[in-house]
Amino acid sequence: MLRGGPSGARNPPSLEQINAEVFTLTYGSIVRQLIADFEDIEEVNKQLEQMGYNMGIRLVDEFLAKAKISRCSSFRDTADVVAKQALPMFLNVSANVTNWSPDQTECSLVLTDNPLADFVELPEEYRELKYCNVLAGVVRGALEMVNMDVECRWVSDMLRGDDCYELRIKLKEHRDEKFPYKDDD
Amino acid sequence: MGIAAVAFIGPQNNPLYLRSMDPSPSDDQYMKLHYVVHCALDAVEEKVLLKRGPSDSQDAYLGLLYPTEDYRVYGYLTNSHVKIILLFDDEGTIKNEMVLRVFRRLHALYVDTASNPFHSFGLPIRSGRFEAQLEGIVAVAPKPGASLGGFMT
Repeated sequence: MLRGGPSGARNPPSLEQINAEVFTLTYGSIVRQLIADFEDIEEVNKQLEQMGYNMGIRLVDEFLAKAKISRCSSFRDTADVVAKQALPMFLNVSANVTNWSPDQTECSLVLTDNPLADFVELPEEYRELKYCNVLAGVVRGALEMVNMDVECRWVSDMLRGDDCYELRIKLKEHRDEKFPYKDDD
Repeated sequence: MGIAAVAFIGPQNNPLYLRSMDPSPSDDQYMKLHYVVHCALDAVEEKVLLKRGPSDSQDAYLGLLYPTEDYRVYGYLTNSHVKIILLFDDEGTIKNEMVLRVFRRLHALYVDTASNPFHSFGLPIRSGRFEAQLEGIVAVAPKPGASLGGFMT
């Protein structure tokens, strides 16, 4: 979807692409508008996450249809697919999966480059704004559609002076596939 | 030869940014810079009226606007009528290509800064990143003996 850098070689040709700056500026004005509308940074964070969620539950189908991947056997696999396939496909960046918790239910996606936040410099009064919170929502929404309830939050953010973007993903529950009808219906 | 000050002026001649590269400029010197840049705006207008018919291709680089006792004033006008003014020390020779290169980079820097969704258009630029990158650009032609710890508006 997003073209940036040299000719988007990592993207399969079947995907439509848009100019990276159009995308970045569009997202920027959305965030601006949300701040103007809600005036409360916490509320803006929540709205961004909700918007992301709504994108995620739709996006996962497109991803599964186009990504030619097989079933993930563990949460570890899933995290890898998100970092190495989904992010490159939709954002043209890839992430590293690190900081696994001992029980393998919590990990971090680390991005060093984030096209959402190009040009952005957070003013002092918006210190609490999670500028890229839409991504947290996307991941939560997408994984929920494949039966994983996760919690996503940004633990470091380059806009706030950290040295990378780190999205913490915590697997809360893996639901088994249930069909809403019984065999004899 | 070195850059003594950088100024960005908006389309309505509203000041966006003025910075002296002198590490400890006095108030007097600061007023003088304002004055010199202010005069430069007239020179920009003159150049534009003289040089440009409606069909002329627009060249952003305006060249030397005018020399004062202490400075040589160069100008650059973007298509959205943002003016960039550079003040050079009146010493040694100044190569046009070098000036143009500095202007191009300052222009690119302004574009990036204006693309920040939190930048308020038409108001003075307040951005740490802008400052830092500007210092880097200006450092290609530093004022002899001056550090880059100058101050801003």
